[in-house]
Amino acid sequence: MHRPFRARARALDPRAPGMLAPMWGKLAAAGLALLVLKRVAWGYPRPPRRYRVLFRGEAAVLANAAEAMYPRGGAIEASGLDADIPGYVDRLMLASHPRIRLLIHLLIFFVEHSTLVFRAPGHGGFRRFSALPHAQQIAVLDAWATSSLFFRRLVFTSLRSLCTLGYFAHPPVIEQLRVAPLAIEPRVCEADLLYPPVGRGRDAIAWTARDVNAPTDAVLPLDPDGPLHPLRGSR
Amino acid sequence: MTSALEQSAGLRAALPSPAALAALAGQIRVFADYQRDFSEQTDVVVVGSGPGGAVVAKELAERGHRVVLVEEGPPFVPGEYEIDAGLSMARTMREGGLRATSGTVLPTMQAIALGGGSLVNSAICVRAPEAVLARWSRDFELPHTSRAELDPHYDAVGDFLGIAPTPEAVLGRRNTLFRDGCRALGIPSEPIQRNVRGCRGSGECFTGCRARAKQSMDISYVPSALRAGARVLTSLRIERVRMSGRRAIGVEGHVVEPFSGRASHRARIDAKIVVLAAGCMATPVLLQKSGDLANSSRQVGENLQFHPGVAVMGIFPERVDPHFGATQGYQSLHFIEAGYKLETLWAPPAILAVRLPGSGLALKQRLSVIPYSAIWDAIASCNRSLGRVRARRFRTLDPHLSWHLHPDDVPILARAMYSLAEVFFAAGAHTIIPGVHGVAPEMRSLREAEIFLTHPRRATDYVMGGNHAFCTTRMHGDPRRGVVDELGCCHDADNLYLADTGVFPQCPSVNPMWTLMALARRTGLAIADRL
Repeated sequence: MHRPFRARARALDPRAPGMLAPMWGKLAAAGLALLVLKRVAWGYPRPPRRYRVLFRGEAAVLANAAEAMYPRGGAIEASGLDADIPGYVDRLMLASHPRIRLLIHLLIFFVEHSTLVFRAPGHGGFRRFSALPHAQQIAVLDAWATSSLFFRRLVFTSLRSLCTLGYFAHPPVIEQLRVAPLAIEPRVCEADLLYPPVGRGRDAIAWTARDVNAPTDAVLPLDPDGPLHPLRGSR
Repeated sequence: MTSALEQSAGLRAALPSPAALAALAGQIRVFADYQRDFSEQTDVVVVGSGPGGAVVAKELAERGHRVVLVEEGPPFVPGEYEIDAGLSMARTMREGGLRATSGTVLPTMQAIALGGGSLVNSAICVRAPEAVLARWSRDFELPHTSRAELDPHYDAVGDFLGIAPTPEAVLGRRNTLFRDGCRALGIPSEPIQRNVRGCRGSGECFTGCRARAKQSMDISYVPSALRAGARVLTSLRIERVRMSGRRAIGVEGHVVEPFSGRASHRARIDAKIVVLAAGCMATPVLLQKSGDLANSSRQVGENLQFHPGVAVMGIFPERVDPHFGATQGYQSLHFIEAGYKLETLWAPPAILAVRLPGSGLALKQRLSVIPYSAIWDAIASCNRSLGRVRARRFRTLDPHLSWHLHPDDVPILARAMYSLAEVFFAAGAHTIIPGVHGVAPEMRSLREAEIFLTHPRRATDYVMGGNHAFCTTRMHGDPRRGVVDELGCCHDADNLYLADTGVFPQCPSVNPMWTLMALARRTGLAIADRL
């Protein structure tokens, strides 16, 4: 047999000696890649609703962070999930400048995957944040909050900010904490006759001179126990 | 005393006729009004409608000059104020309120709205201390910037805006407890003077005053400028100052969609005089993007200073109901010479709650004491801590900021924390939450707080806010060491003026708005004399 042909035939024969080793190696590498991919990007549950900006995995991360920071029960009844923190972050991102949106995406990505680099306290800590048990998630957050590395504290503060903004956007929370905005009867000043609502033309100016009732130098303090803003409370 | 009803009736009677109002509204252009590229001609174009630009525009318009006031943000009416903190910041702040410096990480904000920062600040008006202005005069060769020289301008602004001490009726417990604590310690304190008429004590200054009590520029100076004949172009981003030799001949930019910032039509405004009042963080960017204008001194964008702020939360045995009362109603200037000022504070509760330690049920337990809590803060004068502003690529005026808290300034923050602790415990607080990394999350005695005096910590241990920014286009009598002269005119250009806090030679040690308006008024009158 011609020598080059024999060499080619041996190369194609899986039973040939030395052939299986590179194949097993490739299979192992592919398996490892699949495992890494699964840890990084697969297996997120279907979210309870469609989000306009958040990806499925991001919603899961925020839901887990919300439950870890604001679990059900305790001094305030509502949980982070009752407050729909992922839904709030979705609305916030939609209202934000694209650059800010990108930063929030990156923050959530970092939160989710940093535990693949910085091991979570306890057994089996090298898993993505949303795959950790609840107690371990709280331990991770506490570790970040008190970390000697400023950058990790910064990440924690950023995540805490997002979750807390969402939690406090839930009317029962601010009502229970007595910080819900109070009702204020509308006041109209001269300038309100000049400016249309944002994005609208002059024909959308709602007020007329008859409506003008501000400013006044009379001091009329609100009653801290008075009625609440209709969108933020029921008192 | 006339009733509110009678006052309102009087106001309505004093309003212009419907036809005149329609004409005034026609002097304002909003995003929906722009249909194509356009150019305009005027005597003076003022870029930025905050407390600097609005004052210059009104003073010039009232003296009969043709003025175009340009603002990148939209006007807001009360129904559009978003009470939710995050959404409010996304709408009214550049970069969604998430701007921060590199180096020492310091969150800082810049408003994008007609009226600029005055729409979302807490309306604090304090004259710069005499000693600060004397230092400016002496060290920066500014002989006419003494307190005596600026007082007539302070007075004129104060009269126009009705600046007055916060009335007792709207202080609320959060503010009066601060007064009690200061009195117990023998520290002088006072109700804060604010540009407010008829405050209701809603504590919503930072998300826009629903009560229309705060005399922000959009409802005070801008309408006055309009009545005097000025035109106002909103949703217009100026991207370049056009020059011919040493003379500015106008500005150009694009119409931008509110909130998204998407650029559409091109705009050009030719003017005899150009005034940049885009803010301490945007004006240097505009100069840099215009071919490194007015920068023979190499000071444009340099010397960035802040008043870094730290806050402490105190828990009292009785209910405080901190959500009621003037947002910032009481202050103490006792420690100005030591480098800091104490004041009361309220902000959207979600923002304040971020600083509470812990997670899970422990965090919820801490949140539950909010009705019994008060937050007070200190702003520090850190003249050694400097940074710089650099333009980013693309059309945006959002800057790249770097800033470093000087190690020698850290003890100022530490002493301020201790002073706040002193006032809290003197006022009857049983616990304070300092929110500083590396110290106890809760302290129950002043003795525990002494750690701030014995171990001032590192800069990164403090949760700071970058309140007030200054000095990026500082004034200096020597053209080699500053960007503008005493009247705000660039040393390197004959008719290019700057009127924002960038012209401050150093931080003023107190809230800067009134000083800025006084300086802007002086600049406006100087331009009027020239025209």
